[in-house]
Amino acid sequence: MFGPRNNRTARLALAGAVTLGLVGGLAACSSGGDSGSTASADNPVEITFQSWVPNIDQAVDAFNASHDDVKVTLETVTAGPDGGYAKMLSAVQAGNPADVAQLGYDAIPDFLVNDALEDITDYVGDSSDLFVPWQWNTGVFNDKVYAVPQASGPLGQFYRKDIFDSLGIAYPTTWDEYYQAAKTIHASDPNKYITAFAFNQAPWLIGLSQQGGANWFSTSDDAWNVTIDDESTLKVADFWQKLIDEGLVKIEADFSSEWNADIQNGNVATWISGSWADAILRGTAPDTAGKWAVGAMPQWQAGEDVSATWAGGSASAVLKGSKHPKEAAEFALWLNSDPESVNILTNVGAGWPAIADTSEITSLQSDPEVFSFYGGQDIWDVFAASDAAVDTSWKWPPLSSTLFSSLTDNVKSAVEGGTPLTDAYTKTQDDMVAALKAKGISVN
Amino acid sequence: MALTASRPKRRFRPALWVLTLPFVIMFALFFIAPIVYAIVDSLFSTKASGLGFGAPEKVFVFLDNYAAALSNPSFVESLGRLLLFSLIEVPLMVVTALGLALLLESARARWPRFFRVLYFVPYGVPGVIAALLWGFLYIPATSPVLQGLAAVGIDVNPLSSSGVLFAIANIALWGFAGYNMLILIAALNAIPSELYEAARIDGASEWSITWNIKLPLVRPSVILVTVFTIIGTLQLFVEPLVLRPLTTAISSDYTPNLAAYNQSFAQGNPSLAAAMAVIVALIGFVFSFGFLRLVNRKGNRAW
Repeated sequence: MFGPRNNRTARLALAGAVTLGLVGGLAACSSGGDSGSTASADNPVEITFQSWVPNIDQAVDAFNASHDDVKVTLETVTAGPDGGYAKMLSAVQAGNPADVAQLGYDAIPDFLVNDALEDITDYVGDSSDLFVPWQWNTGVFNDKVYAVPQASGPLGQFYRKDIFDSLGIAYPTTWDEYYQAAKTIHASDPNKYITAFAFNQAPWLIGLSQQGGANWFSTSDDAWNVTIDDESTLKVADFWQKLIDEGLVKIEADFSSEWNADIQNGNVATWISGSWADAILRGTAPDTAGKWAVGAMPQWQAGEDVSATWAGGSASAVLKGSKHPKEAAEFALWLNSDPESVNILTNVGAGWPAIADTSEITSLQSDPEVFSFYGGQDIWDVFAASDAAVDTSWKWPPLSSTLFSSLTDNVKSAVEGGTPLTDAYTKTQDDMVAALKAKGISVN
Repeated sequence: MALTASRPKRRFRPALWVLTLPFVIMFALFFIAPIVYAIVDSLFSTKASGLGFGAPEKVFVFLDNYAAALSNPSFVESLGRLLLFSLIEVPLMVVTALGLALLLESARARWPRFFRVLYFVPYGVPGVIAALLWGFLYIPATSPVLQGLAAVGIDVNPLSSSGVLFAIANIALWGFAGYNMLILIAALNAIPSELYEAARIDGASEWSITWNIKLPLVRPSVILVTVFTIIGTLQLFVEPLVLRPLTTAISSDYTPNLAAYNQSFAQGNPSLAAAMAVIVALIGFVFSFGFLRLVNRKGNRAW
């Protein structure tokens, strides 16, 4: 960058391109002809699947073992917002996409506005009753099915039970109690905080607002209503403002090396996150096994039971330009509804299953390895209750990526510049409306 | 003389064409074509309608993307930030590289080969790795340096909004000063030793040899290093991208390149990104050639 290294990379790139061009040319001669041929055990249809869920290859292997006519190859990509979506969209534009892609519920409208999804109504339309209705509906637009839901991320609070116990703090069931707990924890040790305020994490910020009763997007008269600065959101913002002002939370990006260290050494005592966070926690801080527990979301009104999700959840969609949309859709359906596969997915931490009947999912009934990390607690009870308490009317608009980046930028600059957090949400409202309009989308 | 005069002026030489063709093809495919593609793309925009769930269409918007970029306060702010960064980085880089080169090439230098390699080694570390490495050193939780300073009562936060630009400049300096130093050392080595001998016979001090012989003769290399550094700083991208998760002071459009990247790969607006990229390229063009014109003016040979 700061020197003529460019020349060197340019030369390398050129050499690489020449090689690729030659190899590509050769490959073009030898391949071809597999599209259109009928599938059989001897000549299976080959499809590719892009995902970032760790260890999801186990589910792909299970599919390949039980299917002769279709062979799925897994391509691991970086998590959607961190570059995975960009890769998928560019491949769609270039005309050589993977067949099946992992998509967050929030990203489905974004892909639709980029004309990047295949209509799979003909292949999976009959299977809607296999899934929880609200999750199924995240993939349905204008009565056409574009995605098969995989799992949601109902929120719960992971907390260091040993720290809470030693300080004599009862589990906070309301946000008022949460505030008191934050004060006690920080007073016990100036390096300790109840949680990290993850300014970088839009799904986390959105989940907290949603749990406070916010519902940012709705439609009427074929146009969007955007209310990012509604009363509920501002109430939530004011609450966190108080914690920030009093220095009771650590301003820190989640998943950063600093955050990892704080989770390991107990300087950050809780983490509000999706059910899948269990696998991450066990991986990040194995030495703290037995010290954690999971509780339900603190409530704004004592006695209520309101929960939310981490940006909804995840689905499998067929990318536009797939040469085998039928087989791709069948794989997407099997992956997310076959009990064997859902068992694997739940085990590897894909999230809370989207299927309606979870009685066959043995890993949700008992999972000694997981439960022992939480001192023997059956944490899935907490998430089952959380999943049932989610406001399922939340709707994702197109341009959720703009929403995410605008929200985190605005929250960042509020935290950095000491301006009110509520302003960040007002600004995000303006940004989002402007972005939608600039894209030609109707806003009321 | 007669020989050169009698050379035919336009003889068809197939070897010339055969040998340059690979270059021309690659140059056109991987240099000219992407530039043309970016410029064309920057004149279009994809528009949806209604709720945005139907297929979008690509429409010609002429310079709308440029207007959108330049009327976006945070993009303009990032341009300003970049200029400020160049003002810090370019002089710092040139002076450091020149200083190191002169020190290592002075008659009294100890172990010059060892130090030459030592200063050059950071250049071999890929930019992303370098930024990650420094990222660890910039965070109190993981940095032995900051922990040591804190232990003696000095609290520094290199990633605060006031310090982060210097933190980035430091990474760039660490990575590239050694390379630029090497260019200048090569230039210094090319100076014929008779000049030094003559100067010493005339009784010149080391200082006046440096000032009157070395510096004027490495001038072209200093200019080269400066232009490279200007172009390099305008492309500032990797360091803020890697450091971004570590601090609230770096937004998703902290530098113009970062803003273009964000538009293209996070927000699905490659046309606006293309417009931003063209703007940065134009600025780089103006700055590099402006600097060259400035230093190559007749009579401007002050040193």
